[in-house]
Amino acid sequence: MGSLEHANWFMRLLFLSLCTIIVASVLLAQRGREMFIRRIPGLTAIEEAVGRATEMGRPIFFSPGLDSINIVTLQALAILSYIVRLAASRATRIIVGLRSPTVFPIAEESVREAYDAAGRPENFRPEDVRFISDEQFAYALGAVGIMAREETATNFLFGAFYAESLILAENGRALGALQVAGCPEPTQIPFLIATCDYVVIGDEYYAASAYLTREPTLTGSLVGQDICKAIVIALILLGVGLATILAPDRNFLLTWLGGGG
Amino acid sequence: MWFSRLLQRLFPPAPTPAALYLYLAFALAGSIVLIVALHRLLGPRGRRWLIVFVTFIAGLFFGLEYFYPVHGDPEKNFLTDWIEPVSVMLTVVGALTVGLGIYSLFQVHGRALAQRRPGWHNSLAFFLATFAMLVFGLWEHYLHLPQPPPDVLPWPKVVYEILFNGLFAPLQAATFSLLAFYIASAAYRAFRVRTGEATLMMAAAFIVMLGQVPFGAWLTSFIPADSPAAFFRLEMLGEWVLRWLNTPAQRGIIFGIAVGALAMSLRIWLSLERGTFFSEQS
Amino acid sequence: MSAPQPTTLSDRIQQIPRHYVYLLLAGVVVWQLLFPIRLPITPSVPTRGVYQAIAAVPDDKLIVITTDWDASTQAETGPQTQSIIHACFQNKKKFVIMNLQPPMGVKLANDLAQEAAKEYGAAYGVDWANWGYKYGYENVLMALAKNIPNAIGDDFYGTPVAELPIMEGVTDIHQVGLVVIVTGLSAMTEMWIGLIQGPYKTPLAAAYTAVMAPIYYPYLDSDQLKGMLVGAKGAAELEVMVDRPGKAVAIMNVQSWAHVLIVALILLGNLGYLFARGRTGGRQP
Repeated sequence: MGSLEHANWFMRLLFLSLCTIIVASVLLAQRGREMFIRRIPGLTAIEEAVGRATEMGRPIFFSPGLDSINIVTLQALAILSYIVRLAASRATRIIVGLRSPTVFPIAEESVREAYDAAGRPENFRPEDVRFISDEQFAYALGAVGIMAREETATNFLFGAFYAESLILAENGRALGALQVAGCPEPTQIPFLIATCDYVVIGDEYYAASAYLTREPTLTGSLVGQDICKAIVIALILLGVGLATILAPDRNFLLTWLGGGG
Repeated sequence: MWFSRLLQRLFPPAPTPAALYLYLAFALAGSIVLIVALHRLLGPRGRRWLIVFVTFIAGLFFGLEYFYPVHGDPEKNFLTDWIEPVSVMLTVVGALTVGLGIYSLFQVHGRALAQRRPGWHNSLAFFLATFAMLVFGLWEHYLHLPQPPPDVLPWPKVVYEILFNGLFAPLQAATFSLLAFYIASAAYRAFRVRTGEATLMMAAAFIVMLGQVPFGAWLTSFIPADSPAAFFRLEMLGEWVLRWLNTPAQRGIIFGIAVGALAMSLRIWLSLERGTFFSEQS
Repeated sequence: MSAPQPTTLSDRIQQIPRHYVYLLLAGVVVWQLLFPIRLPITPSVPTRGVYQAIAAVPDDKLIVITTDWDASTQAETGPQTQSIIHACFQNKKKFVIMNLQPPMGVKLANDLAQEAAKEYGAAYGVDWANWGYKYGYENVLMALAKNIPNAIGDDFYGTPVAELPIMEGVTDIHQVGLVVIVTGLSAMTEMWIGLIQGPYKTPLAAAYTAVMAPIYYPYLDSDQLKGMLVGAKGAAELEVMVDRPGKAVAIMNVQSWAHVLIVALILLGNLGYLFARGRTGGRQP
């Protein structure tokens, strides 16, 4: 088996194919081609959750996760933008709690633009976009404090969460809030499922942002990824079959995937 | 290689530490001048193309090194010898973001303190704690205590230990410990046998929870470890659930994450992202 | 959404106020800390894998222990690191500690190593060393694979690592016989596997918090990880193997009964649910 330090012809072919599929899907989507994404169950809950806050006359709390600027946080901000537009159209207040000081100005701008897009620029309150703390658990406790003091009716937890997710979600539940969460971290899914009313898990998180925003790059990328996953599944099935009938030293797929130069 | 020789001629190693600091100062000043000049001279479109170009070249380097055919023994191509210096350079550049993070924190807390926003006392606590750890941390470091440290420690080291091991570490550990209580209440409330799947999940949870602790092993210790029925010992059953039920699911998730990471990387490398946070509006 | 006020016994059983749950749990923890009921601990296969991987390192190679954890996970990763260090000293293997994130891990691990070094009469810089916190994630690993002294630079105390006796003959990753990742953070293992274990076939072992360990069973299964310590249980098992029962063993006494309490509470809640369902004729209460 070769080393994985450099690619062999099979790795080059495989990566080139996967990259071509993804890039082609993104470009096709950017050029206006409609791409189908199935309905994500957790997303119907967003309107319901915003509606609950409106009926109760209490604010919404949104946390875009703990990471700094990366794809997960940017997608969380895209979902925030969608929720703010929805809330703004119903004159419902939304409070955003942030952990990363780098994300803070971007989130503030995103919320301001969402209020503008909803035609309610006068409803934007800069003090409702709050930097809490850059320390993980200080952030969680600060966010819980906001939920308790502001008596939020609905909590949205979308983004990268880690050990503090249970602190946020369990306290939110104890305070009586309806909670919708979306997190791509596999380790936190059990805790969110046990404490939140609706959870968007794993790859559905990326699909959620594509579904809500209909951003061509996100939609095209998602469709491209699905095609790539089908190729990976086919390779797995082929590998399982070959490993069953061939000895390891005759298993050519094993050699190709070793990647030796 | 001609490029290596050219670089070695243009940037010879600094002969003395003072010369090194001079080089660094010139490099820093030169970089600032270059960035300001580019910012002024290039319009928004020009800046975008510069960012796209730099992003592409940066991403191309590692990808090309991996995919370009290799030869010789040890196997390498024309980029392999550059991996180490480029990685060291990127580490240095990345370390500057630590300063950026600190600057952002000072800015946010400074503004909260100056404007006496609600919770300004927390910002004051931030500054006090930051400077205390900074002062005593650096002081402790530059004491250059021998290894192993002496029995009687100098007072700056004692203060540092109080701040670190006496305050910071226990506070962090105590807050994390809250999770144990929340897990108990969440599990008690959430696990209900409403459906067949929920029952299966609960059964798996019981097996793994008890199998992971000595109590579970004790509970089924009457089953001989070398008998065919040893599989039903709780610790074996728990291990089976983790290795044969959990592992395939996790493997599937890993593949999904890997394909997702490939897609994300491609989008950033080729600057395909559009929207508010990138450059032009979509 | 808050539950309606409980009226019947079955409802009350399902909705025990959480403060009582917390008090019960606190009571169990205090009870076991003060009056522990010690149950035997048998090392599992993944834990034995870690010990065997340490013992199998050739004498002329180095063990790198990455301590990517902080005080929040110290209850699990602290005893894990400590028992790994004991295993290294007992097997007379030279090791270094390093840290990629978060920075405090390397200081906490340094304290543990100093304490253990006193017990074995080990000298810093000769039998063990601390490379310190290195910022850069993948970039550090890529540089380290090709040239360790250049990539690491100075140790935890500011001494150039090339000057340490333990680093004699250590130039690149081929002189590293094992990397043990001790972490409470995700994504660290993938970096080591992708950049070090995969290309250079450097043996890898790991120690994780119990929450994240299930994610890494695929790597154990495919032999990319030679062994794995799972949370405080793994630390306790390794403490037993190195004959140094300590914090992890004490934690397992507590954890045993805490798990029993949680299982009992879940069963109680479900009893109440089933009674309530029976009362309402099979309809959801």
